[in-house]
Amino acid sequence: MKKFGVFLFVFAVFFSYAVVISAQEEAADAAAATEESATTEEAAEIPGSVDMTLEMKPGKFVMPANFRGGDPDRGLVNAVEDVFYEQHEHSILYKEDAGEVAEGATFEGDPNITWDTKVKDADGNFQTVSSVNTNMAGNGGKFFAPGEYQIGNGGARQVGGGEGAENVTTGDEGEEGGEAGGGNQTDEALVGENGETAEGGAKTVTANQAMGVLVHDVTAPDMWIAFQEGAGNVDMAATEQELKNKMVEKMVANLGRPFSQKAEEFEDASYVFIDEGTADERNLEPWKKTARLSVAGALFNERGAPKFESKTVESKPLDQEDLTSQIHIAGGEKEALKGVFVRRNVPFIFAAMSVDNGNNRGTTAEVACRIETADGKEVEKDGAAYLFRVPNYPREEYKDQPEYFFVSKAMDKSGNLTTVRMPLYIVNIQAAFEGGRNQ
Amino acid sequence: MFGSMVSAQEPPQGAPANLEKTPWLKGVELSPYPTDLTPTLPLAIYLENGEAIPATVTEDVPLVLVADTAIFDETPPTHANDQEIPNPRWDAAVAVSWYFIDWEKNQNFNASTTSGLAANQMVVIPTTPTGRGAVTCHMARRLRYDAPEPGRSKVSYANSSAGRDVRVLDITPPLCGLEITIENGKSGSFWPVEFPPDKYPLPKTANVYFSGGLFDAVDKEVVVEGLELGSNMIVAAEQVTVKVAADDKLNIKVVGGDNHKLDNAKLKFGICNAAGGEPIPVGPINEATIDLSGIELPDNPYVFIDATDVTGNRQVLFVPLVVAK
Repeated sequence: MKKFGVFLFVFAVFFSYAVVISAQEEAADAAAATEESATTEEAAEIPGSVDMTLEMKPGKFVMPANFRGGDPDRGLVNAVEDVFYEQHEHSILYKEDAGEVAEGATFEGDPNITWDTKVKDADGNFQTVSSVNTNMAGNGGKFFAPGEYQIGNGGARQVGGGEGAENVTTGDEGEEGGEAGGGNQTDEALVGENGETAEGGAKTVTANQAMGVLVHDVTAPDMWIAFQEGAGNVDMAATEQELKNKMVEKMVANLGRPFSQKAEEFEDASYVFIDEGTADERNLEPWKKTARLSVAGALFNERGAPKFESKTVESKPLDQEDLTSQIHIAGGEKEALKGVFVRRNVPFIFAAMSVDNGNNRGTTAEVACRIETADGKEVEKDGAAYLFRVPNYPREEYKDQPEYFFVSKAMDKSGNLTTVRMPLYIVNIQAAFEGGRNQ
Repeated sequence: MFGSMVSAQEPPQGAPANLEKTPWLKGVELSPYPTDLTPTLPLAIYLENGEAIPATVTEDVPLVLVADTAIFDETPPTHANDQEIPNPRWDAAVAVSWYFIDWEKNQNFNASTTSGLAANQMVVIPTTPTGRGAVTCHMARRLRYDAPEPGRSKVSYANSSAGRDVRVLDITPPLCGLEITIENGKSGSFWPVEFPPDKYPLPKTANVYFSGGLFDAVDKEVVVEGLELGSNMIVAAEQVTVKVAADDKLNIKVVGGDNHKLDNAKLKFGICNAAGGEPIPVGPINEATIDLSGIELPDNPYVFIDATDVTGNRQVLFVPLVVAK
């Protein structure tokens, strides 16, 4: 019995050890499991960047992929200049809860949001046009010049993980022996590699997206027409080239606007200027577009009086589907531009140039222009200049003489047009224009 | 029609945005989850010499940074979010933007374009001191891939962005001045303006502007140019003076501040004995009203403003006080 008692005692002691060992193993396993859990959570590191979506909001002026015959696979949003467009973007970085950025993560403040507009240059590189830090995921604005743009959105937000990590690693609340609890680990738990986390445990996470926009030209080109009379033995061919050179230089330098508004600066040559207008007249919406007609010099009235006059003229839709527009200047007795008045027996030349906002008015193009009769037959030069020997003005006195018209036409690459058709009058003036004496 | 856009064609998941808590989502009607093949590539930014961007950088000191990302690789990525991109090819150059964010103000500053550097490099000048800032780099590059329909293609964008958190140490002293109104008399203000702005290397310099009848500067400003911005800014008597009578009462207010944070506990203003060095106050300091009749003024008194920012940059500005006899 005693031996049995000893056996029981030994068994009890052994069993108690076994229980203790088992309990310790369980505790160790639990601790290991919790540590593993903590390690797993630590592995859910805050990413450096996340995805973003970006879109142009649909609208009447978001044009179809094949707009103006474009390649439908080009992959750019078709838009037109001078119209308001809205864009919006989204990312998990902008949500209320940071849980989708990283489990247990928290946002430490509001996002920082910047809308960036870049334009593609001639070398194919993107140059920044504007960069606006709005801190809003919606944005709107106009493109003031045709071209290929890239709208980019850069978002950033400070993401921390302190509390989230702590909750994960602490284990069940109220459970004793919380040796596996995260406690002090939390500050480091979500620190990125290379010390990415700033003081306070927050890390800047970024998001980024872009879209391409092809902005189409809906503005008619600017046109300058110059008339210059010759006298004596002037080399009219050389004069014509000088006139063109002068126009090339001044038209680009003045972005299509008249180079002067002083009548006395137009003694050598008279000009018709047709351009998009003054600063507040430019970049109007397509349905409000106008142009400004300015005439300068002595050849636009029958008295030969030097003047500078300017007025706005309407721009009209040319093609409703392609959204092209046309400025047409029709000269005549009751029009702003009555016509051009040249003297009989005095040789004259003319030239016309255009610039377009399609390339920011950076280059000029020569414009087709001619003098024609009422039936459209072209009048040829007499040598190096035009020369008329018989007057046809006033018309009631020279009804037997043909009517002449000056016509010109400038078209940009998009099909926007600027055209002029005005009467050309040959007046019987012997004296200098400055005197204003019409014989 | 929307082929070029990186769109989310599925409706937003979960509850609609709570605009009270996320007001920046006003007007946003698309999902945050891209469904197009738009890969997000990792980006690392570091110093030109390959070292990590330090956690603390110095205001106005340029950093040449380098961005390392596969967006510059010859061939585009073949996968986006585990989806294969069919026959991907680059379709345009990389568009790059660098910003410096001041998280304390939630405001960012565009890093200027730097010519002569490679496309993945940028000189970033942190001009705004902050305890919480970040340099961020955002890049996007258009890529084209085969559409399911034979002979057709689609466009999306590869994106790459990253931020590095930095603190920007303030090295600019405060720019404080005073507004002085003589009771029943003239008034005027003076204040320094850092010029040239963001100057580095040190020392920084400032112009001091004087305005108001007290300085014979009505409808104009008198400017004392090129003072070293610091603790010894002395306006000479032949330049500008504060002209008072012996029994005037001066009402004084501090104007201006610091480009980061002023240490208000160290702010002092009043009248002192002589200019330069540590101001030795004569009469009360930091009082909104100084009654000159109660002060025995020295031979060469000065009005002074002594301001220090939380970083320890100090500005002391002395302007001569002339008492009419």
